[in-house]
Amino acid sequence: MKKFMTLLACCCFASSALASEAKLEAVKVGVDLQTVARGVDAVMNSCHSCHSLKYIKYHDLVNLGIDKSVVDTWRGDQPMDSAMLAQMSESDAVQAYGKAPPDLSLMAKARDGGASYVYSYLLGYYITPEGMSGNHIYPATKMPDILGISGITDEAGRAEAQGKARDIVSFLAWAADPDEQTRHKLGYYVLGYLFVLTFLLYLVKNQVWSKLK
Amino acid sequence: MPNRIIKWIDQRFPLTSFVKHELTGYPTPRNLSYWWNFGFLAGFVLMLQVATGIFLAMHYKADVALSFDSIQHIMRDVNYGWLLRYMHSTGASAFFFVIFVHMARTLYYGSYRAPRELLWWTGQGLLLLLMATAFMGYLLPWGQMSFWGATVITNLFQATPFYGEQVVIWLRGDYTVGDATLSRFFALHYLFPFIIIGAVIVHLVALHSVKSSNPSGIDLAAKDNIPFHPYFTIKDLYGLGLFLMVYCVFVFFMPNSLIEPANNIPANPMQTPNHIVPEWYFLPFYAILRSVPNMVGGVVAMGLSVMMFAFMPFLDRSRIPGGAHYRPIYRLQFYLFMLDMLVLGYVGYVPPTSQTMLIGQIATLCYFASFFLVPFISKVEERWLIKRGLPPQLMALMESESAGIAKRKLKPQRRKGDMA
Amino acid sequence: MNKSDELDDTGRRNFLVKVTSVVGGVGVAATCVPFVASMNPSSDVLAKAETEVDLSDITPGAMRTVAWQGKPVFILRRTPDQIKSSSASNGGSDPEPDNKRVQHPEWLVVVGVCTHMGCVPNKEEPGWTCHCHGSQYDDSGRVIRGPAPKNLEVPPYRFVTENKIIIGKA
Repeated sequence: MKKFMTLLACCCFASSALASEAKLEAVKVGVDLQTVARGVDAVMNSCHSCHSLKYIKYHDLVNLGIDKSVVDTWRGDQPMDSAMLAQMSESDAVQAYGKAPPDLSLMAKARDGGASYVYSYLLGYYITPEGMSGNHIYPATKMPDILGISGITDEAGRAEAQGKARDIVSFLAWAADPDEQTRHKLGYYVLGYLFVLTFLLYLVKNQVWSKLK
Repeated sequence: MPNRIIKWIDQRFPLTSFVKHELTGYPTPRNLSYWWNFGFLAGFVLMLQVATGIFLAMHYKADVALSFDSIQHIMRDVNYGWLLRYMHSTGASAFFFVIFVHMARTLYYGSYRAPRELLWWTGQGLLLLLMATAFMGYLLPWGQMSFWGATVITNLFQATPFYGEQVVIWLRGDYTVGDATLSRFFALHYLFPFIIIGAVIVHLVALHSVKSSNPSGIDLAAKDNIPFHPYFTIKDLYGLGLFLMVYCVFVFFMPNSLIEPANNIPANPMQTPNHIVPEWYFLPFYAILRSVPNMVGGVVAMGLSVMMFAFMPFLDRSRIPGGAHYRPIYRLQFYLFMLDMLVLGYVGYVPPTSQTMLIGQIATLCYFASFFLVPFISKVEERWLIKRGLPPQLMALMESESAGIAKRKLKPQRRKGDMA
Repeated sequence: MNKSDELDDTGRRNFLVKVTSVVGGVGVAATCVPFVASMNPSSDVLAKAETEVDLSDITPGAMRTVAWQGKPVFILRRTPDQIKSSSASNGGSDPEPDNKRVQHPEWLVVVGVCTHMGCVPNKEEPGWTCHCHGSQYDDSGRVIRGPAPKNLEVPPYRFVTENKIIIGKA
């Protein structure tokens, strides 16, 4: 039976390793406010004209800690509790790109590889030999190269683009799972408590069973 | 005062005697290992799923236009909604994990053998109910995997003779999986747990009539049975503590590892994801479905693969009592079967290629062979073991066991008499 | 085992069992918190706890009904006559001076839910009449006739500018 458990554990690891088939550049998203704030700024400037974030409301940004006056400039005359819909209407987007740009609220969870997928995708643009724009991660993409990565040749420019991509991805990771920090914090308390309780139960169990001998 | 209330109740309802006979004083073999904790854990997870499910249902909306949004509403707006949802989604995996270990224990120790056939079959029924409930629950988030999973599984009923097409449409209430399907799946997903609770009660009544098996595979003398309380209540609670630690690691730190990324995309009936996979607990059976080239054959094979366990009491004809404990070949066979399940699980997970198809077909053959060969292997093994010489204690037991179930049931009393 | 050993053992076990029961009980109680809390208003409902109203297009004597927390709120721009008649009396069965019920005499802001059984009164000059059970309120929202026990509730609100109020935050 023990062997079976070990095998099962091995299988679980093997399957999680299989999950990312495309060659993705792994990224560790930032959870600090500065990174996420830079990320939301970049998203508002580069993505939000076409992409909506319909599960995020403007007051969520304020609650996160983004300066209210900045959020006010983004929301314009929309109320604080309205969803962050794209500035471009869906029919206009379909006309311009052939299909509606996907909502970004869950993007960091909706692809195999998660945040690393989005990061690699943003940095995956290149110029094809025919002079067209292509993408290594998602060849059929209709989105333009917003970071201009395919035109960058020097190291410094590339590092800057990588930093910006990481900011964007960090914000999208927050948007997809806004309660992650709370969850982890609560998780440590719960596990600590369970450890104490299980240890006590172990002691009681030993004491009860010692009567049998 | 409490004593007077209990006395008042006892005059009208057998409360004290029921608790004494079936709960606290229930005689349990003292040598049960931790593998016997998993039945209790399954009951606990069932209650956890019912509790979280009822609270989730207060916020969920079963409507194709609203259900995906309502999940996000639960995750983002409802107080602790994310916790309830992750507890429920992780709980589904935990339920299957616990049940699979519970079944593996039964197979390993031969707990399905006489007189526990009915106990095993009620368990088999519970497995089918659990699978149906999990499958219907998986449609509710209305993501891409939900939609295409439900499409594929309802399509299996096309294998129904003569009326295949009509049955599929009847199940869905629509030409494709749609609003009618979602509403009825929600209604049934809410109903089935209560049927499961009823079936669990039947399972427990059967258990209490034949009593627990034990690692030796031989029923113990009455003197070796100890009351359930406090010995096994505390042991079960300690096991529960260990289980909850693992469960909470998943709930709080990696809940999304059990949710397919594609299910974070709303269902789109116009586009199938490139790689659709069922939840991990269905993978071996899904691999069997894909391994058979004929559609009807595949459906029959998959249905049979789940039902094969029910035949075990008939297939295992060995006169050697118990399961793998005294039977080295059966033990080997058990481990090979577990390995085969893992291979099938892997084949079910990866996208089909000609190579994995071949592996899957071989593994499917091995799967069924490991059941159909049991009668022959167990006979050969029995002859070999007898020729090699059994422990004298076992010989005596075998003689009494071959005399039949009725006599077997009397054995504890007789042994008690021997001791006196 | 002699008697004192036995006593010691039971004493220790009882203590350990007690501690474990208390710790376990705390855990069960804590687990109930998220379940109970999930039934409280969710954050999107709480976000509706404040309503911003632009008053500039309400003419004297006119009334506007706005939703605040899902309840109707009457905003009445009172004419000098209405102000005069309201401040002349202290109302009926629940006496209260008019200046305690308004921040600015011109503007009356009250929750439009009858304090009797929760129906919405109709504007019927002077004041309001609730058709469910016949309660009548004056132009300060005070009950003057009928079964209603209290005056119409004044919600917390504040003037952000001269012509804009936020209901929900004092």
